Amino acid sequence: MVAFTIEQIRELMDKVTNVRNMSVIAHVDHGKSTLTDSLVQKAGIISAAKAGEARFTDTRKDEQERGITIKSTAISLFAGMEDDDVKEITQKTVGNSFLINLIDSPGHVDFSSEVTAALRVTDGALVVVDCIEGVCVQTETVLRQSLGERIKPVVVINKVDRALLELQVTKEDLYQSFSRTIESVNVIIATYVDPVLGDCQVYPYKGTVAFASGLHGWAFTVRQFATRYSKKFGVDRVKMMERLWGDSYFNPKTKKWTNKDKDADGKPLERAFNMFVLDPIFRLFNAIMNFKKDEIPALLEKLEINLKGDEKELEGKALLKVVMRKFLPAADALLEMIVIHLPSPVTAQNYRAETLYEGPHDDSSFQSIKNCDPNGDLMVYVSKMVPTSDKGRFYAFGRVFAGTVKSGQKVRIQGPNYQVGKKEDLFLKAIQRTVLMMGRFVEPIDDCPAGNIVGLVGVDQFLLKSGTITTNETSHNMKVMKFSVSPVVEVAVEVKNANDLPKLVEGLKRLSKSDPCVLTKMSESGEHIVAGSGELHLEICLNDLQNDHAGIPLKISPPIVSYRETVEGESSMVALSKSPNKHNRIYVKAQPLDEEVSLDIENGVINPRDDFKARARILADKHGWEVTDARKIWCFGPDGNGPNLVVDQTKAVQYLNEIKDSVVAAFQWATKEGPLMGESVRSLRVNILDVTLHADAIHRGGGQIIPTMRRVTYASMLLAEPAIQEPVFLCEIQCPENAIGGIYSVLNKKRGQVISEEQRPGTPLFTIKAYLPVNESFGFTGDLRQATGGQAFPQLIFDHWQALGGDPTDPTTKPGSIVKQKRERTGLKPEVPGYEEYYDKL
Amino acid sequence: MEAVAPSLSTYQDESTFTFDKVVEQEVSYKHLSRNPFDKNLLPELMRKYYNIDDIVDYIKSKPHCKRVTLQFPDHLVGDSTLVATEISKKLGKSEQQQVEIGCGGCGCNKESDKTCNNIKPKAEEDQSVWILADTSYSPCCVDEVAAEHIGGQMVIHFGDACLNPVDKLEVGYVFGKPDIDLDVVIEKFQASFSEQDQVILMADAPHSYILKNLKERLTQHNIAYGDISSQAFPRAKIIGYTPDPAPSFQLLNRSFHGLSDDSEETLGQYKLFHIGVPETPRLLKLTTIFESVVLYDAEAENTITGPFPNLMRRYKHMLMAKSAGTIGLLVNTLSLSNTKTLLNGLKEKIKTSGKKHYMFVVGKPNVAKLANFEAIDTWCILGCDQQGIIIDQYNEYYKPIITPFELLLALNEELSWSGKWETDFKKLVEDLGEEDNNEPAEYNDEPVFNPITGQLTSNSRPLRRQEYLQISNEGNDGNNTESNESSLVKKFSTDVVIRDTVSTAAISLQDRTWKGLGTDYDEEEYNSEGALVEEGTAGIARSYQFDVSNREE
Repeated sequence: MVAFTIEQIRELMDKVTNVRNMSVIAHVDHGKSTLTDSLVQKAGIISAAKAGEARFTDTRKDEQERGITIKSTAISLFAGMEDDDVKEITQKTVGNSFLINLIDSPGHVDFSSEVTAALRVTDGALVVVDCIEGVCVQTETVLRQSLGERIKPVVVINKVDRALLELQVTKEDLYQSFSRTIESVNVIIATYVDPVLGDCQVYPYKGTVAFASGLHGWAFTVRQFATRYSKKFGVDRVKMMERLWGDSYFNPKTKKWTNKDKDADGKPLERAFNMFVLDPIFRLFNAIMNFKKDEIPALLEKLEINLKGDEKELEGKALLKVVMRKFLPAADALLEMIVIHLPSPVTAQNYRAETLYEGPHDDSSFQSIKNCDPNGDLMVYVSKMVPTSDKGRFYAFGRVFAGTVKSGQKVRIQGPNYQVGKKEDLFLKAIQRTVLMMGRFVEPIDDCPAGNIVGLVGVDQFLLKSGTITTNETSHNMKVMKFSVSPVVEVAVEVKNANDLPKLVEGLKRLSKSDPCVLTKMSESGEHIVAGSGELHLEICLNDLQNDHAGIPLKISPPIVSYRETVEGESSMVALSKSPNKHNRIYVKAQPLDEEVSLDIENGVINPRDDFKARARILADKHGWEVTDARKIWCFGPDGNGPNLVVDQTKAVQYLNEIKDSVVAAFQWATKEGPLMGESVRSLRVNILDVTLHADAIHRGGGQIIPTMRRVTYASMLLAEPAIQEPVFLCEIQCPENAIGGIYSVLNKKRGQVISEEQRPGTPLFTIKAYLPVNESFGFTGDLRQATGGQAFPQLIFDHWQALGGDPTDPTTKPGSIVKQKRERTGLKPEVPGYEEYYDKL
Repeated sequence: MEAVAPSLSTYQDESTFTFDKVVEQEVSYKHLSRNPFDKNLLPELMRKYYNIDDIVDYIKSKPHCKRVTLQFPDHLVGDSTLVATEISKKLGKSEQQQVEIGCGGCGCNKESDKTCNNIKPKAEEDQSVWILADTSYSPCCVDEVAAEHIGGQMVIHFGDACLNPVDKLEVGYVFGKPDIDLDVVIEKFQASFSEQDQVILMADAPHSYILKNLKERLTQHNIAYGDISSQAFPRAKIIGYTPDPAPSFQLLNRSFHGLSDDSEETLGQYKLFHIGVPETPRLLKLTTIFESVVLYDAEAENTITGPFPNLMRRYKHMLMAKSAGTIGLLVNTLSLSNTKTLLNGLKEKIKTSGKKHYMFVVGKPNVAKLANFEAIDTWCILGCDQQGIIIDQYNEYYKPIITPFELLLALNEELSWSGKWETDFKKLVEDLGEEDNNEPAEYNDEPVFNPITGQLTSNSRPLRRQEYLQISNEGNDGNNTESNESSLVKKFSTDVVIRDTVSTAAISLQDRTWKGLGTDYDEEEYNSEGALVEEGTAGIARSYQFDVSNREE
């Protein structure tokens, strides 16, 4: 029994003010998919009995088997609201029907990129937090990301049933635990919130926090109880809500509200939240779980819960589930929170437009996005690809930000490298079909107006992972997504049978499409490399590659780490190289970039596409650069956007502009393959001090300048204390106290560095945070399990690059041996060449 | 800052223009004998080493060849005068004017051509001897073009040779007989292989004469050997060495004797012991054929077991070519037969697959020359498989360089890679002919997945028809009102599409920041008064006026 039809949904799509696009985000195992089930059940898509167990949005076989979500899954739901609730919505709405486009996202850190892709197309986020584990590393990551994308959060504190059944806490303890969790969420929000979003702090008394048990299918907000009691007490609901949270007490004798926890006689008073909200729940639990059969019917009657025939026969947990579900249906609480507190596309796009659109803020496309205009020029952002049942084909999954996308419409498909007026990455094609994504099913629709989430057929061949679709030829791209994870763990894959190579290459293409983060490339020595964000991510990717995308047996190498080459000092002297014809000379010095600058470049804050004056301002104000230097950045590298810079510091050099293209090309080349071992360069700044050029153009062409600039970059690097950087994971482990010793000994063995160890108040659990080099992380989970008897499970997320101490040119040091190995593997001479190899004497 | 670059940045003094001087080198005669010897014995040793008597007999046996050219590789050029004098003497000429030094094919301007033609042998029936001072491309190939500069009819080729067939001239190959210590070779051989191993002995051309001998001394091993092939080149003769004429399996201009079964697959079961260190392309080819390769460096008297050039890197370059839009066909040979057929075939194939190509002849290619052509995405080099192909092992070249074989693989719709590496032009031409029957795949404008970067490449086929593309802004054509009054041209064309195809040239121009004088003109930095006009420099770069006056002082 599906409680709504596609026609109904399609109709609602036009009433954009009644649409809510939201994602469910959380740390792994905090119960996102389970909670989502109760919403899906409410919509009638799955039966009530199955809700909480089916995990409807876990569509893949391995997701069901492993019990974790791997891919984010979208589903559209229909929600009818009471007039009473609709009144409370502060933004514009029409009628009582709402369309909720929900995306369930994975919680494991390795799949953070899926979360990013989900966040881009939604405006609100339902942040789920386990009431026992509290705020974990991934909770923080996803919250930070959502706030960065200007997405408004509401919070669900989940697994309240566990606190009641397993920990047997008192009411006040539970209240304290709730309030601590909310506080830590608010701390994160305060840290990362974008001022444009306004106040995003969450408070139970404002209705932006819900308490739930996803497994049992019940949830409540303070607002719900306030509604009940406001009728009973005849108090205004808003006032009631404020009284039901925080230091607010009710003196039953005097029937007065107070904010002191003791009455006039000094007797302790019970907190209003405990008394009015938790008490009925505690009593129900107590009665049912302790089999106090006589108490139950009275309680049920008091709470207006009617059981049907065979439900009355149930006992214990099963009865508890049924009762609680009737008492506090999860979907009601969640829907109420989502509809009232999350923004509609119209509201959200007004403030999100400037973070979404690359082009100028006065063109028509920008205005259409800002106004969420269904009649404007089409702007669709495709955030990921969803595999179809047809092997190798994908639905392009995205959001219509402006205009209306129709089946058969001719559109411009713009890949990430497209620039207005250029031909690269631009395709003119017709949309074959538009579909509505419903979990594992799709439903065809004729068109889809602005503000909605949609799947497109016939676009996937032209985009790898993401892209922009428009109808206006002056439209710029939508901004590309920045992922919080980097593909730092690599393996080389080889076919067992050479004839399978074409299948492997095709498989790699499909794999790159199907996952927003996975990177496929080829090593210097001609091996196909698959890079993922962690061991689990890679395992899933390789599984898909072998069994699905390529469908052939593969030889897979042990995991490898990719390093970066950098410098740690300024060149000890000016590096000089002469061109092959000896008529041109380039003088440069290398120096390291500040880590903050590199990070800003990597995160897109400092961006080669920006106006150079704006860029110079950031560099000067935030990073203390000389304005003259900051304005004379010639290029970023590698790939034109990496964290390495060429700065022109020359004075009055004739013909200098003429060689700029060659210098830029050479710098891309040199930073792509560094001098130490052919790895990418990071955090390098090359200052061109002077250039001598031949007076005749033919003698200063690309052929003379490109090899020379590359040589002089290498020489300057080798003169500037070259070093290598390795990626480091942030590792978070939650464990009971007795496991700590084991964790420390494993961390010690693995060059780990503990940064904090805290006990989570009110629980016996400890949270340990440590930095762990990616290189040492292989097999870490297994070692940890062994050392702690399976009590500790780590979450590893890429955190930063860290210089490996030691001279990489000396093969007896650790970095030296890494360099030597890598050089031998790629067929280079085992020793790092001296700077003399690239340096020319005057 | 301690070291400061000179402040006058574009200052140029005389030293900037000094040309590289010839580096003087001591001539080494180590190849003639391992032991030091008396200078007086030199002509005698040389006569033995090069079999000068046989050369003379061969020249005399072809009386129609009036002009005989002698071609030496660079490391043997030191011997050239002595050899030439010796030959001329035996041909019965007077001391003074027997040896003419021919021009090296490339450096021949009109003036010297004239002198070339003016020098004529005294009598028509006399045979004259010329030394080719320089080879245009690879020294292992017979340089027909250089020989034709003086109208030569015969080339005597000295040193290691690829023995690839030559189209027009009579050829005599003189490998020389390098002095080598067989005992050391045997010792090294036994250290490298066990008695169960199936081993093939091979050598570069000069060392091939010891193979048979070597095989006979290594009786306890299971050995076959690859002798110089006697059938591969009908119009040429090997002087001073007679290969085993017994019929046998032919490959790589070698005939293999003693194989268990005559096929290329059989060779895959053998290990190779190669005397002499071949150039990279040849070595790569050898590693693809044999199970393993051990090289014996005759000069250093030791064995080399690696690292050898990596075939998977070729695979990578092949894939890079697949997503390249513009291909540079680099002709690095003029004498190999089938070059033209192959070249035309490749051009046709490139065109049908929608890529753009340019053809280049740059003399001896080097990094700087190739980097001058920034628009080229991949180079395809047509050259001799022994030395004429550039295998860029250390990533020195700006853009990848591939062979015609790899280019053909890259141009196929279907990706394939068998682990073989074909360099024989004849076979490639045959392959081309076969494939021509296939209908060219339908034009589709899907971007190509580039497994090197993991990205989609949209401009790998710029020349296929773009039926749909309308990049030019049609709306702006008629009513462009914002034209500035002072601007001469209303709007520069930004079109990159010419007659339904994308112009790669227009794209690369669009991507450049420097587009010629005046494009870097920045209004903010200059005032409207302008600058004084001064007289600039005149003449060509190597003799600018100011520079000449410097020199005179």
